[in-house]
Amino acid sequence: MPSRLNLLGASRSLTIRVRPSIASHHARTLPVVSRRGFAEEKEQNAPTGPNQGGGLGHVSEEAADMSEITGETGPDLSQGTPVQDILQRDEEGRDKAPEIIKQEIDGKKANAAESTTFANLLSLGQLESIAAGGHGTDPVTVDTVGHKYGLPDLPLPKNANFKYRYDPVVAQVTNLLMKDGKLSVAQRNMSFILNHLRTAPPPVPNPARPLLPGAPPPNHLPLNPIGYLTVAIDSVAPLLRIRSQRGAAGGGAALQIPVPLGLRQRRRQAVQWILDAANKKKSRGSGKNQFALRVADEIINVVEGKSSVWEKRQLVHKTGTSARANLNYRPGGFRR
Amino acid sequence: MANTNCLRCLARPAFPSPNILNATTRAGMGIQRRAASKLAKPSNTQGRKNEKVKGQKTLRIKKKAPVKTGKPPAPGERKAMRKRIVLSNTNALEVEGLRELDSKMLGEWEESVVRELQAGEDDLVMQGALGLLEGEGGEAKGEAKVVGKVVALMGSTVDSLRAVEAFKTTQGWGLFRRPGLLIREESVALSKKLILSEEGGVLRLVIDGERGTGKSLLLLHAMATAFVRGWVVVNIPEAQEVTNAMNDYAPLPGTTPTLYSQPSYTATWLSQINKANLALLSEMELTLTHNLPIPLQSNISLSRLCELGARDPDVAWPVFQAFWAELMAEGRPPVLLSLDGLSNVMRESAYRAPDVSLVHAHDLAIVNHFVGYLSGEKELVNGGAVLAATNRSHAPRSKSLDLMLTQLLEAQVGEEEITEKDPFEKGYDSRVEWALGVKEAEASVEADVEGVETASSPSSVKEVKKEENVEAAVEKVQTVPGPVEVLKLKGLSKVEARGLMEYWAKSGVLRKTVNEQEVAEKWALAGKGVVAEIERGALRMRI
Repeated sequence: MPSRLNLLGASRSLTIRVRPSIASHHARTLPVVSRRGFAEEKEQNAPTGPNQGGGLGHVSEEAADMSEITGETGPDLSQGTPVQDILQRDEEGRDKAPEIIKQEIDGKKANAAESTTFANLLSLGQLESIAAGGHGTDPVTVDTVGHKYGLPDLPLPKNANFKYRYDPVVAQVTNLLMKDGKLSVAQRNMSFILNHLRTAPPPVPNPARPLLPGAPPPNHLPLNPIGYLTVAIDSVAPLLRIRSQRGAAGGGAALQIPVPLGLRQRRRQAVQWILDAANKKKSRGSGKNQFALRVADEIINVVEGKSSVWEKRQLVHKTGTSARANLNYRPGGFRR
Repeated sequence: MANTNCLRCLARPAFPSPNILNATTRAGMGIQRRAASKLAKPSNTQGRKNEKVKGQKTLRIKKKAPVKTGKPPAPGERKAMRKRIVLSNTNALEVEGLRELDSKMLGEWEESVVRELQAGEDDLVMQGALGLLEGEGGEAKGEAKVVGKVVALMGSTVDSLRAVEAFKTTQGWGLFRRPGLLIREESVALSKKLILSEEGGVLRLVIDGERGTGKSLLLLHAMATAFVRGWVVVNIPEAQEVTNAMNDYAPLPGTTPTLYSQPSYTATWLSQINKANLALLSEMELTLTHNLPIPLQSNISLSRLCELGARDPDVAWPVFQAFWAELMAEGRPPVLLSLDGLSNVMRESAYRAPDVSLVHAHDLAIVNHFVGYLSGEKELVNGGAVLAATNRSHAPRSKSLDLMLTQLLEAQVGEEEITEKDPFEKGYDSRVEWALGVKEAEASVEADVEGVETASSPSSVKEVKKEENVEAAVEKVQTVPGPVEVLKLKGLSKVEARGLMEYWAKSGVLRKTVNEQEVAEKWALAGKGVVAEIERGALRMRI
């Protein structure tokens, strides 16, 4: 049973109520034809007799009226009344009540957690905190009352969704490493790459090829291999790509139009370049981890500024800069 | 025109004879020919497309042919890289307050062993109960402090272990600043047994367990213990290298059944033994006289003897036998004889006899030597231990070995029902039972008792004789050592898992807070603490 304490009840007694700022578009007219669902017992617009309608209210209202006459405190009409309270007053109803409620009234089934008030729950929570080794004065929060395992901390962490539980960069690179749909092999390669980054000596960055601003110092990178990988990829990721619009330049030539890239797109391009460079390398050893080793070496080369990937990035950016005049091209022609 | 094969006829008319065709078909053919000629000639428009227009800047990333720079790796270099064992990671943080597996720690365990022994005696004579209780409490406390902690290996131990190839490439040594070992309950128990076996009473043990439960590492722990205690360690690091027919071999003259020696392997093995036990062997001098094919000085050290054998593969096996005889002489230190990958030697090897039949692994001289001690047929007279670990990831199945290990384990636990042989299985190997010391004892008892029974007759004189015979048989049973012990490894306990993960976190390679929840999660996901699975999930970042 929900607790009887109704927080909204307080505002009901106020004379000023907040009016909805947006008027509802529903017609305010009452339906002429009465609608009755299959599960409804009576017709809503049934003809009323002299004793029906406008007389006594429902049981709680009746009890409230009676108590007003007798001067006792009756049920609070601003709240719903639990059926147990009604049955306390109603002897006849008690006999006709369902078995479960009868048992509850007899005390056969005493379920404290179900049929208790908020005050009781509060003190139960205090007792629990004492049992857990705290004090009775400790604040009883919502997640300690009525929840077996407590509520999760909000906001939920980003990796709480099982589809996004891994680091986004690692997940993306793993998928890009995959060949022939063999995800498990790709994951093994990814693990090898991260462990290689962890054991390789710290990189010596080239000042001519600055890393991403805000990147951690190079001697911090090996113990944070995911950060290492992210710094390498984000540092060489291009900001744009060049789209070739055919027939727009006239004379059959393609018009070069720079197009900005999103974060994942930028990373994807960088990883593709790194993988291309790694594929061109030769293995120095033998065994099944050679490809992963070459990729890991290429990532180190990127951070040290030795990789050819930097030149590719520079080329794309240069072309993008020179072709920026073409930005206002639209399929119909140049925009003025 | 409705043609039956109109699509094909566009290019190649199926009926080329023009005589039969009438005028309408001729007109149709005309169209077809034109179409055919169009198909044959590629249009010129494609060639123009790639031409560079003057003044146009286009992005072209040229594909360069791979430049051949540098010379390829030298022969053997690739394999060396694959087999390289890295024992240190300079990036990892130094863990403070790490204890070493040294003689002090082993001394503590020895004390507790002695105390336990005394406790056993005291129980018998009902003496000193109070002192005993105190002692037990203190001892348990001391051990509890170490169990679940990672201890570092001493530098000299590391060198020796590296020499006997106890470290493997699949283990994560290269992630930490220095090699360390997790002390588990099983490893403390094993160390204590090893210490006990110094006094005589050889420990013969097979370490079994699921894949990744730490069998090889327990073997390494035993070897480290042995090195610290001043034993001589003789290790066969990979049993498959002995049996997979990758070494030269030759029949040994004068052996029935014929044994096969492996000269090159034995030579390398001798050099490994020498390197690992150099400090001990260089101080031991020859005490026996040997009949060897090479001239031998009488006062050389055992280390020098090993060197001589390692230098010449042809004499390696006789030199090894001489070396072993010296080790078995009086006053020598205990010996640890160990092997990893037991199921490889419990079957037929890949070597062939002259009649092209497969040679059983037990007929290889090296394996025969090991198995002789494992079965208890021969005894390490100066004390010591014979240890074997099974391999569960890349190992052949040996039906007999699996069955025997199950049976022995059940008998050890004291179960009433022992798993029986599958009557329909043909793949059992009786030599495996002998090698684990099982069939020998039982068979000898049965044979003796049977012999006695058949010889028995109503006469009283023979009755007496029978009793004597039975007594003799019983005595023989007592002298024949029983089957090997089996240690079945399972997952780590949560305390051990936590200790391990805390060590990883302190080394800086596990970037997480190690709390109860994290440990419980990893422990449960790793199949109740299978240590390799914990490592895979938490340490190796294998998602």
